[in-house]
Amino acid sequence: MNRRKAIGGILAFAGIGVASVTGFNFFYGTSNRGKLKNYLNLLSEIVDVIIPPTDTPGAKEANVHEYIVAYMESCSSNKEFNSFYNGLHNLQDTCLSNYNTSFENCTKQQKTTVLESLDVTYDATSFLAKVDTKIRGRSFFNILKSLTIEGYCTSELGATKFLAYAPVPASYKAITTLQPNQKAWATK
Amino acid sequence: MKNQTKINTFDAIVVGSGISGGWAAKELTEGGLKTLVLERGGDAEFTTSSKHPWEFTHRTHLTKEELAERPIQSSHCNATDKHFYVKDTEHPYIQEKPYKWIRGYQVGGRSITWGRQSYRFSDLDFEANKKDGFGVDWPIRYADLKEWYDYVEDYVGISGSSESIPHLPDGVFLPPIPMNAVEKHLKESIHKEYSDRTLINGRVANLTAYKKGRGQCMYRNLCSRGCPFSGYFSSNSSTLVDAYNSGKLTLRENSIVKEVLYDKETKKAIGVTIIDAITKKEMNYYAKIIFLNASAIATASILLNSVSETFPNGLGNSSLQVGHNLMDHAVNAGTYGTFNGLLDKYYEGRSPGTIYIPRFQNLNPKTENNDFIRGYGIQGKGSRENWESKTTTGIGVSLKAQLQSPGKWKISLGGRGEVLPDYNNKISLEHNNLDQWGLPLVKVHFEYGANEKAMMEHMTKTSEELLKKAGFENVGSYRNNPPPGSTVHEMGTARMGNDPKTSVLNKYNQMHDVKNVFITDGSCMTSSACQNPSLTYMAITARACKFAIDQFKTNQL
Ligand SMILES: Cc1cc2nc3c(=O)[nH]c(=O)nc-3n(C[C@H](O)[C@H](O)[C@H](O)COP(=O)(O)OP(=O)(O)OC[C@H]3O[C@@H](n4cnc5c(N)ncnc54)[C@H](O)[C@@H]3O)c2cc1C
Ligand code: SF4
Repeated sequence: MNRRKAIGGILAFAGIGVASVTGFNFFYGTSNRGKLKNYLNLLSEIVDVIIPPTDTPGAKEANVHEYIVAYMESCSSNKEFNSFYNGLHNLQDTCLSNYNTSFENCTKQQKTTVLESLDVTYDATSFLAKVDTKIRGRSFFNILKSLTIEGYCTSELGATKFLAYAPVPASYKAITTLQPNQKAWATK
Repeated sequence: MKNQTKINTFDAIVVGSGISGGWAAKELTEGGLKTLVLERGGDAEFTTSSKHPWEFTHRTHLTKEELAERPIQSSHCNATDKHFYVKDTEHPYIQEKPYKWIRGYQVGGRSITWGRQSYRFSDLDFEANKKDGFGVDWPIRYADLKEWYDYVEDYVGISGSSESIPHLPDGVFLPPIPMNAVEKHLKESIHKEYSDRTLINGRVANLTAYKKGRGQCMYRNLCSRGCPFSGYFSSNSSTLVDAYNSGKLTLRENSIVKEVLYDKETKKAIGVTIIDAITKKEMNYYAKIIFLNASAIATASILLNSVSETFPNGLGNSSLQVGHNLMDHAVNAGTYGTFNGLLDKYYEGRSPGTIYIPRFQNLNPKTENNDFIRGYGIQGKGSRENWESKTTTGIGVSLKAQLQSPGKWKISLGGRGEVLPDYNNKISLEHNNLDQWGLPLVKVHFEYGANEKAMMEHMTKTSEELLKKAGFENVGSYRNNPPPGSTVHEMGTARMGNDPKTSVLNKYNQMHDVKNVFITDGSCMTSSACQNPSLTYMAITARACKFAIDQFKTNQL
């Protein structure tokens, strides 16, 4: 919350309001489901900021954006889809009004600032959070971040290069001693 | 007897190829009887057993369309095992009050998707009805079933530990699946904090050692997709294979048993009518012995649909008990907590096992509970949080670091409580509301009583207390109790008993009214106990088959 406040001054996230600089209209129907594909490039840039390449691959290389589109197209509820679709547009609006350019063309620092301003981490198990989610559905960034994490950790690169993946363990050692820097298992 | 031909006449017919039907098939064929198994579903195809997570387009999520087809089943399946659950839209039923009827129509039934928890009943369970007056007395006791439990466990392969708990008898066990660090910690804490409770290794039908014709468990914890190694017990991995190898088995898929045919001259059942699920054509099959193993609700519906001059209320239903006394286990949605210690401990491999806190209430005067009669057990599992369960902060490099390391330990616990037999909890048929095969829809009427509600409340509080005493943090419970049916332990719709006036089956699972019809799926249960019931269905089935074979060979059926 605090970080958001701190940067709130320079960066106003266009949360509500129908007028948007890009001229997109807010959308409440279902007809846009098929259009999400047009945002693959934008999404690939976004997920690569959330999970950037380091000594292990980033989310873009792991094709997480494709998973997100597949999920949103086929699995999301209308409510979720709308929050997500509108959220993407708001994100672009924010970049345009603050940096005069689209997210894709922002600097790495700008991209990070924009996304961090959205990452309001709150205790998802708290009563208020549950009520909030129930009424409004998951927020744009909540959907985006959790799909990015899921898509990445279950992708071939994420599971095998970033995490420890053992498809057929063959034996079970119930108690082992954790080695320094030992990676978490990809699957439960 | 009418219309009999060689091709459609057998010694025995078994309806359903699930956990209990598979056993009937194995025992009857190995006993030398030419046996026809009729299964309403098709082949069980293990299409996802060895898939990697990234090979699922939507990972574990069901699409909107798949969800719409499975409004009820979707609480129990996901994209990786959905094909083992029916589409509710194709197989509708009526819920007078919310009741989940979770089903899989395929060869093997729900033996493919079951959780494999296997616990014996004891005389605490078999004597309960007699002692407190709810339901009728069981016509059998533990002594009648003990050797059959031994027999079945030896074949199935149950991993577990011997514990000398009188009301949870030990069995024929393979080595237990060991507990991880946090599970051991909870065990030790419980032993320190309580004199009346214990925590043991869950007893599961997963092979911790090789068994004839089957491979050992490979610790992938993907059982609900079907096991390519035959590492856990299912009809498909074991009983049906042996039945087939006997040379006496005929298995007919896509065969929906519509009714059992009764001959009033001989006072026996002569066969069944099936509807071919694909062609929708009707056909008759004949046999001297009929075993009904379609699962509790389906078996009761077959009986209720088998009306004749002698049995206007359904076959063998002179007691008017068929369809009644439906039970499931009372279940709370679950309790969880995280543990901040033992951070240097981890594990290798994925355990398909669990931990179990056996019933500790109302065992004797010392453990009497004033809130409810009978009792519940608690099942659970401990693991370290990973990306699936971690709460993360931030994005970028710091997020990656959080995702890459194992999180805190956590444990989740869930109670399973005994449901009392109650005549008002029942299934019936809606004759003016038919499915696509022209069969009346099943209507379920089921409500938890005050005893079950008190028990659910108690199991939630107790689970929280156990974890708190063991130093867990963030202890909480989902306080929305899942609707009945959620445990998928439906039973009791054609109960056993000594008195034909108040029960449907005798002590050998033979219908009081129709001696050559046997029912050994969950329908036969006189009370529910709190243990997962399938092991008991298996033991009861093997026992009833022995009796039926003897009777068949001495021409008494
Ligand atoms: C997710 C899950 C977890 C579970 N966990 C456990 C556990 O840990 N321990 C435990 O003891 N139990 C567990 N169970 C319950 C267990 O699966 C059932 O108790 C058991 O399968 C019942 O055996 P059955 O033979 O009566 O029925 P099923 O195994 O369901 O088999 C019935 C068969 O009959 C067929 N059939 C139905 N109607 C007809 C008809 N009219 N004509 C022809 N065929 C028909 C069906 O297609 C099916 O193949 C679990 C179930 C589920 C779904
Ligand atoms: S965990 Fe074991 S029994 Fe279960 S599917 Fe994997 S190998 Fe088979």
